[in-house]
Amino acid sequence: MVADRQPRYRRYRIEIRPAPDLVRLPPRFRVEVKKHRLISLVLKELIHYRANLPVVLSRPCVYGVFSRPIGGLAPKEELCVGCLRCTVQYPEVVQIYPNPERERLGDSYLGPACVDTLLYEARTGHVPVRGAGYRGPFGGAGWDGMWTDMSEIVRPTRDGIHGREFISTAVDIGEKPALLAFDEQGQPVGTLPKVITLQVPFLFDRPPPSARSRRLLEILTRAAREIDTLAMVPIDLAIRFELAGPSVVPVVGEETWRWLGQLNWLPRMIALEGWDRERVAELRRRLPESIHCARVPMESDVLELLRQGARVVHLTADYHGRRNGRFVMDLIRQAHQRLVDAGVREEVTLIGSGGIVMAEHVPKAIICGLDAVALDTALWVALQARFAGECRDPETALVSFPRLEPAWGVQRLKNLAASWRDQLLEVLGAMGLREVRRLRGELGRCMWQAELEREAFAEVAGYCADA
Amino acid sequence: MLTRRASEQSIIRKHEEALHQGYQRWPTLDFGLPPAMGDDRWPAELILATWFQAETGRPPANGLEYRVGRSGGGFDALDFRFLPPEQQLAASEPVDTVIPLNRRPGDRAIEIPIPWYGGGMSFGSVSEQIMLARAKAAREWRTFTSTGEGGYPESLVPYRDHVITQIATGMFGVREETIQWAPIVEFKYAQGAKPGLGGHLLGDKATVAVARMRESVPWVSLFSPFPFHSVYSVEDHKKHIDWVRTINPDALVSVKVSTPTDIDMVAVGSYYAGAHIIHIDGGYGGTGAAPEIAKKNIAMPIELALPRVHRFLAQEGIRDEVVIMASGGIRTANDIAKAIALGADGCVLGTTELVALGCTRCGNCERGRGCPFGLTTTDPELSQLVDPDWGAERLSRLYASFQAQLRDILRRLGLRSVRELRGRADLLVYRKPGDPDEQADSIGSG
Repeated sequence: MVADRQPRYRRYRIEIRPAPDLVRLPPRFRVEVKKHRLISLVLKELIHYRANLPVVLSRPCVYGVFSRPIGGLAPKEELCVGCLRCTVQYPEVVQIYPNPERERLGDSYLGPACVDTLLYEARTGHVPVRGAGYRGPFGGAGWDGMWTDMSEIVRPTRDGIHGREFISTAVDIGEKPALLAFDEQGQPVGTLPKVITLQVPFLFDRPPPSARSRRLLEILTRAAREIDTLAMVPIDLAIRFELAGPSVVPVVGEETWRWLGQLNWLPRMIALEGWDRERVAELRRRLPESIHCARVPMESDVLELLRQGARVVHLTADYHGRRNGRFVMDLIRQAHQRLVDAGVREEVTLIGSGGIVMAEHVPKAIICGLDAVALDTALWVALQARFAGECRDPETALVSFPRLEPAWGVQRLKNLAASWRDQLLEVLGAMGLREVRRLRGELGRCMWQAELEREAFAEVAGYCADA
Repeated sequence: MLTRRASEQSIIRKHEEALHQGYQRWPTLDFGLPPAMGDDRWPAELILATWFQAETGRPPANGLEYRVGRSGGGFDALDFRFLPPEQQLAASEPVDTVIPLNRRPGDRAIEIPIPWYGGGMSFGSVSEQIMLARAKAAREWRTFTSTGEGGYPESLVPYRDHVITQIATGMFGVREETIQWAPIVEFKYAQGAKPGLGGHLLGDKATVAVARMRESVPWVSLFSPFPFHSVYSVEDHKKHIDWVRTINPDALVSVKVSTPTDIDMVAVGSYYAGAHIIHIDGGYGGTGAAPEIAKKNIAMPIELALPRVHRFLAQEGIRDEVVIMASGGIRTANDIAKAIALGADGCVLGTTELVALGCTRCGNCERGRGCPFGLTTTDPELSQLVDPDWGAERLSRLYASFQAQLRDILRRLGLRSVRELRGRADLLVYRKPGDPDEQADSIGSG
């Protein structure tokens, strides 16, 4: 009798571990105690409760803000969660203020609330969970004007998220001919599919020139390898810093073209800045086994690029998700639809970047038509980067990092990826989809604020569809 | 030992009194607005105005905004097209706020004198004291409250004529007798705060008492699966309803669903399966723990779902045979009236009731010992901060204020019954946020 062989299947998971912030954040709230009033209150209570000290000294905060021996005279602001119980009870003694220092985190697109969420995700690897319902604006421009669908009764179920069923987050990046051709012997001829399967539908984009340190690039590439995704690295830096391996995507452009000759390993994918037929032909000649990706502005004519031979297209926008005044959501839909109308969507892989800074932006971008997204600013915030002014232009954005410790940085990115993947599973589970590939371009499984309002408020006076 | 317990009680009383004073003092605006309170959905003014109404039974007259939030859309962008003063009904004219909860002939007729009832908040997500306060208020107003999915505490039994038994996917605490007690049984298919995700009670809140009620293991997180594993079609759904009607033939059946893109089809299916009430829970409400990604991004807000369902049921010729209750972001009397004008028969309140009881919407319901105000907690000490009788009085006064405002709105629209308002979207006006006329003509102005 032969013992069963050890099964080779390994269920994909991202290992999470707590990775506390390196740099202490300013507390969320300022606790302002009027000390003379506090002393007066204590004296009054001493008399009222006849010096029953446990009663007199019992404090309203259940989170320990007043837990020092001198209580409210030296509050621990870092423990304040903003419940406001102290100020509700004693308005003349204590006031709680949002900390203006905290409000300055991030920039006008990736605001302080986003920073908070990203840091939580990077710290813990968990899905942010809170009570008391939604608290933001009704809708809004960009991603906020879009809701994803859910299904009341279909499978797979939420059990999928908790382990009993499987929802796949794997995506294929590469070249896929529309049809396979076979010779008389039944052997495939012509172009064959050439794809990389990533376990998550997100890649890591290259950082801006101001932040291309060796250590950061090492963290990005190592985290990408451990997550089973790809990290884009300028080719000159990949060579100089000896960053190689299956997770590294060298990005080559006009200025760095000369470095191509020094590439002494075979990348699974190589990205070319812009579209240049001669350079693409040269890449194909030199690296025939690699997947070639054209990195072009988001508004590019993808159909024309396809006709000229592009099969993997990385559509880029600025870090606020804009190109020529338009938001990425519209531009992605436009690119996707153009390929669908021409009947060639399956032949092209669309990757997109810019303005994708929260977990929910990933499924929304995929619904709009991307196969995968490339992450940028969210990764750096997870590593506690600070922006100098607006972090918008990928060429000029000023991003500074704390002194990065590689193991910490890798874990932070793994935690972020795990949290985002789990949130993607929540969205897919709610829709009843078994795999993220099926989400691509599923515009019927989303709802647009403008369209729903047009329908709902048709009879309401004063409603103007363009309002 | 006795002294220690006495001290503990004194500590609880001290904080209870201080909190009660705070709920009275803040709405006076003597201390301004709490700088760290509120958000777009529930600005600080709306929270304080709700406290004021729970305290006095009337809306504030000191300028506190009590009608709308500042979310920039939905209810906050809608206002009423009131008649000129000479065409409005006189204050002395009676205005009826009764709605039926069943429109199917042959089944039990239940009416409630106000077009709202309390939504499901489970034992575990809230304390037994809160459940009791809500049940007492429901009895006083001859309306309902719902158990949520966490069982039916014994203390609620005396109020059973006003308690809806909820059956959700985890079947936590559902027993034959709790179905037999109920005038209305609610099937929760989904909930707006976490559409398509099922319920979630974190381990810290699954105390020994909560676990006993739910027949589960203490201190272990409880996930309600999604969806019902016995329902994959409208036919299966009918089987559910038949099952409840076999156990309790007199019960009305409510079906609570979220707001997917095909919510109109879901509503029609529920009707044909035999539901008396279709409870539509929009995405922006919710009181319990929910993934942030779900709250904001999955399923549509209630304001946009109601007209779709109302119109579709009307086109199908069945609108007058089923009751639609709306929830998920109903905060004020104005919201209730707007929801009805958009097509609901009535509304279901959740967060509003918690705010009336002192919630500051800090969102720390799931952290550590739970709500520091004793609301969404099962901590034995914190939950004593709310006395059920005190809570019931606050809810009753809030209801009184809401009813008075609703009557005033109806009078100014020239309507004698809230039932005449249903589906009258033509009585609404859309005001872009920032419009100088925004809410200017609403009740309470001037």
